[in-house]
This record gives sequence, C-alpha cells and structure tokens, in this order.
Amino acid sequence: MTTYNPRYAGTVTKYVFVDSPEMTPSDLAIRAYEISQGVMIKETCFGLQVTGREDDVNRIIDLLRALDPSHIFVKDRGFSPGDPRRCRANLGGARPGYFGHEFEMGLIRNISKGLESLPSRKPGDIPHPPAPSTAPRLDARDLKKIIESQES
Amino acid sequence: MTRVRIAQLSCGPEYSGVQKEIDEAAAAVDAEIFFPDIKLADIRRSFDMFGLDVRSPDLKLAIARAKALVEGRVEADAVFIATCFRCAEAAIVRNELRRYIHENSRLPVVSYSFTERTTSGTLLTRMEALTTIARRRALLAREVQQGLTMGVDSGSSTTKAVVMRDNQIIGTGWLPTTAVLQSADEAVTQALSAAGVTRDELQAIGTTGYGRFLVGEHLKADLIQEELTVNSKGAVFLAGTQAGPSTVIDIGGMDNKAISVQDGIPGTFTMGGICAGASGRFLEMTAKRLGVDITELGPLAMKGLSRKVPMNSYCIVFGTQSLVNALAAGSSPEDVAAAACHSVAEQVFEQQLQEVDIKDPVIMVGGTSLIQGLVRAMEELLQTKILVPHHSQYIGAVGSALLASGFIKGE
Amino acid sequence: MAKVFLYPTTSLILSDLVARFGHSPLSAALQIRERIQTPGLESPPLQITPEEPKKGLKWAAVEVPSGVRGRMSLYGPMIDEAEAAIIINNADFSFGCMGCARTNELIKYLVRKRDIPVLDLEYPRNEEEGVEFVAAIKRFLDALHGGSA
Repeated sequence: MTTYNPRYAGTVTKYVFVDSPEMTPSDLAIRAYEISQGVMIKETCFGLQVTGREDDVNRIIDLLRALDPSHIFVKDRGFSPGDPRRCRANLGGARPGYFGHEFEMGLIRNISKGLESLPSRKPGDIPHPPAPSTAPRLDARDLKKIIESQES
Repeated sequence: MTRVRIAQLSCGPEYSGVQKEIDEAAAAVDAEIFFPDIKLADIRRSFDMFGLDVRSPDLKLAIARAKALVEGRVEADAVFIATCFRCAEAAIVRNELRRYIHENSRLPVVSYSFTERTTSGTLLTRMEALTTIARRRALLAREVQQGLTMGVDSGSSTTKAVVMRDNQIIGTGWLPTTAVLQSADEAVTQALSAAGVTRDELQAIGTTGYGRFLVGEHLKADLIQEELTVNSKGAVFLAGTQAGPSTVIDIGGMDNKAISVQDGIPGTFTMGGICAGASGRFLEMTAKRLGVDITELGPLAMKGLSRKVPMNSYCIVFGTQSLVNALAAGSSPEDVAAAACHSVAEQVFEQQLQEVDIKDPVIMVGGTSLIQGLVRAMEELLQTKILVPHHSQYIGAVGSALLASGFIKGE
Repeated sequence: MAKVFLYPTTSLILSDLVARFGHSPLSAALQIRERIQTPGLESPPLQITPEEPKKGLKWAAVEVPSGVRGRMSLYGPMIDEAEAAIIINNADFSFGCMGCARTNELIKYLVRKRDIPVLDLEYPRNEEEGVEFVAAIKRFLDALHGGSA
C-alpha cells in the first residue's frame, strides 16, 4: 500500500475547445498566454487546458469565451495537464474520455449553429427536437397491405 | 531483458480499484500494460464489422482494440482481457474476444474476471505465463529432453521431482508438501536415488509450482517457471501429442488449470482457485470421510453412480455435508465417491472449461488424474475420451526437466 | 443557480451549455478531481480504491459487478444532489466514466425516480436540430430556479 500525495491540490483544470472558421487552437493559445498572468496554459489539438486557482481560471475563460462565443466550449477536467496516469505517452493509447470528446467535437458545429441563432430566433418559438421514442412505427394494417401487394 | 508489452482489453478495472494490481503484476514479470491506440472512426468500423452488438461503450472499445491487434495495426506481445466478475455482457465479450484473438493471431491471451478484491498476487502467475510465452517461444518449442536433467514441482499439496536422461524418465520422487525446502530436498533425494545418479552429475535443473522461486534459488536452478507453460509442455510430451492442438486439464490441490495448447505452447488458459470445492482437497476430504486412502477413491467411484446421491452444493463444507447425509441415509460408499468426483468435475466444467476451447485430445494431468472416477466424470461431461498419460502426476517436474535441458551448457 | 445532472456526465456540450446559461453542471470531472486531489492510498489511474465499490453498495446490491458499484460511487452522490437533469439518450460512444451500459441504465433510472425536472434529448444530426437542441436546453434551464425566465 503506497501513500498517495496529490500534486496541484486546490487547483482546477478546464478544457477550452475551439472549432471556428475564425480561430485555430494555436490562435486561442496565443491569446491565452497574453492574459495568463502565471496561470498554467497547455495547448492541445482541440484547444487548451487552463490550470490554476478557480477564480483565475474562470477569469481567463470568460475573456477567451468572449473572443468567439459560439465556437468556444468549456468543461471541467479532473486531472491536471500531462498527468502520467492519463497521458497517451504512458498509456499507449488515448484515455477513454478522449473518444467522447472526439465524438462530440464531430457534431459541435450543430451546437454552434444553435448558439448563433439564439439572438434571432426566440427559444420559445423553436419546436422541441425529435425524441427517440416518437419515431412512428409502420402501422400493422399498412404492413399487411404491402405484403398483400407483393403477393399478388 | 526486453519488456514484454501486454495489451489490455478491459471494462471496469479502474472503477473497481484494481488497475494498480494489474499494472503491478505485469511489472513484477518485467512486462508493461498498454492500451492499443485507435481512433473513434476505428471503433465504429471495427465494432460494426465484429458484429457483436453490445451496449457498453467500453466493451465496444475493447472489441475495436482487439481487431486492431489481430489486424496488426497495433503491435503487442500478449493480450490481457479483464472484465467485471458477474457481468454477463462482459463475459460474452471476454469469451468471444479471447477466441477471436486465439484463432486469428499468434498472440497469447489470458482472460480474467475481477472483483474489487483481486490482488496482483492472484494475477502474477497468469502474467508470468503470458510473458514466458511471448519471450521464450524458442525454448517452449523444445520437444526432446537431452542430457541428464532434473525437474522439481513444488506444489501446494505435494512436491514432485523427476530425473530424466536422453528423453526418458529414470527416477521419480513424490511426497506431501510440508516445509517447502525440506519437502523439495526429500523429493530430490528420492528421485536421484531411483535414478542412480548424484546431484553433481545433473547438467541442468528446472523448478515450477507454488514454491518455484524458493526451491529454485535453493537448488540453483537454471530455469524457474510457472506451471501453466511447464505443465502444457509436460502434458503433450507425456501424451505424445506435441504437434497440433490439445487441451490440458489439471485439477490441483489448491487451484485448477485449463489450458488450450497449440504445438505444446499455451494459447489461452484459465486458472481458478477461489473454491476449495472444485479442488483435489474436496476429494481428499471425501476419501477421509469414507475411511479409504485417496488412491482407493478412484476405483471405488468407478463402481458407483453419482446420480444416486443428491448434492445440493459444490461447497467443500456443505457439499461434504450432503455426502455425510447420503451415507447416513444409506447410500453406498461407491455412490458417494462417484458423486464427489462428479461434483468436482462439474464445477471445473462449468466454471473453467467454458473459458477455453476444448479440442481433442483432452489430457488430464496432476495427482487427481489418477482418480479414475474423476476422469470418468469429466469424460461424461465433455463427451470425449480423456488421455491420462503415464507419470501424469509428475507433469510439472517432467515439463521442467524437459525445458531445463535447453539450458545445458554448450546447447 | 441550479445543480444540473448531465447524461453523459462527461459531455462537453452539456457541461458548456449548462454553465453558459448560468447554472452549475454536475460533471464526472468534479468527482474525479476530488479524488485526484485528496491524499490517501495510491490507486491509479483514477484514485478509485477498492473501497469505492463498497461505497457503491448504497446504490447497487453486492451481486452487482464491482465496476458498476465503483462507478455508482462517483455518480450516486451527484444524482442525490441534482436539482434538474439533462439526458442525451443516444450517447453510445461515451467511454470510460460512461463506459458501462448497466451503470448507465441504473443512472438514468435513479435520475427519473427523483422528483426533479428532466430534459430528454438526442444528439443533433444537422444544423436545424442543433438549433432545436440549444433552444430546448435554454428553455429548460431558464425555467429552473435562478434561471432567466
């Protein structure tokens, strides 16, 4: 049994993802470095990770979000950047959570579209999105008709 | 020694608190665990192509990683498949992936279902076998024993020693294990004396079994190796079935092994050791209760019918209780002996043989293979004839002596 | 500001939108962070020790696999704490924390059993569905206490 002593206790890490025609992850990183004031910034293929005291991290994130609000997305991360327990270099392959990001980033432009449209289309006027259970099944009588038409 | 790279295909170990145990077991045999790197598109495509429509995303990931290994997109030396004990969905995936990798690649595979109580110690022998198969293919390919060598199998119940010369067994030693080193020394003395040779004449020594490290150091062994690869080798050597597929079943004193062997090298295997009711110990207790020697239990069971004795449990405590009740109710000792054999065979069949592919010839080895009633019960369950080679109780010692001859100087 | 449970709890999209519209997302990362930053016994990678599946017994019986119980020790407290929930029902490619289908079924059931507002969605397949998706979340969040409605 080995005792565990955490590093970076008391910090938070947040992912900042960018998928924008106006801005690349490295553009975002440059802007982040300019305002970082000692907060740790780590560039990734999707955007950034920002690590530091919660207030500092939130301040930077608010400033970054304002650059391109509909195309910048933020979420919390449990680990600090480069943690050997999650790092691809140590695991041989990506940590499982990476695939989840890859999946959501594949459709994030739809979300961006939704965010862009908010000022012009009031949420109350937009229909509720399709739910899985509402997809209608073929009526048995219709199926019967199809079968009969095939038989004749 | 280069580190063996073991690809992990799994669902759940990091949430059960046992990933560290897996990593430690691998590190103890100079291997490292890694996770095959693939892309999301690979996961979707591979999962669709594999055709097993499971719901759990981590199992989909495991399937895609297995395909990447088999198709050679990711290189590995061995594969470790681990999923939660009692998960039906994962058990199906575990079995199918093990079979898929075994049939479509040369990668050695071991699968394991863990609980939060699984420790690195439990996993060690399996990891050692995986790395041995990956590292020592050339040694394991050896089919002929040469020179004068000795093998010692320090088991949990008994210690065995065998001296071999020019592919023949020329001396054996056997006794119950008490103090590990003392028992080993005594078995060695017996074997040397039967062979008519001295310690100094031996050209190489191999050890295996639970006490292999201790005894190996004590005897200055040239080869110290776990019993999965050694017993496979010993079994096909004694049975004369070195080429092609075979299945080795070893019901031991403390744990059982079922090994799917190809050309003398284990492909997939399982080791079980949680329940004493599925072990040789259960048969020892039955013999004691019947007032017969363990060597008489087999012939006794051959005269009985297991179905005449109702057994409500496989457990060594409650199962024995059922046997005692049956005796009190007038069942014959023959039927009770047969029921005990059937109980052990059925439990091994249900819990372990489902995890390996049974291919003929099926070879039973170890001390319990001498209990004919147990072999017959297993034959009935598997619906096949089982081979029990001469000297089958010395299996580990024979395998060790055979493999140790690869270490004779000048070889 | 309401505490909103997310399904999948690892979702970037849900986590972002909930925070963006002024509420507090309950995401898996917070549970992991707490463990990673707490001293104790070493149990990489997630600092989930063999004790956690035992804590999971509060939500799943002992015959339930250890991986389900270990995951429930992460999510159980979040579900208990949640004041609302957003569920994406076709999250078939959420690995790791959401990698076990049985756990996921249990999570959804426990969320629905609580008397809290729940919004059910699917991932948007095109831009128009994206507009509907974002609008539905905005409507839902605005109606919660501390929302802008």
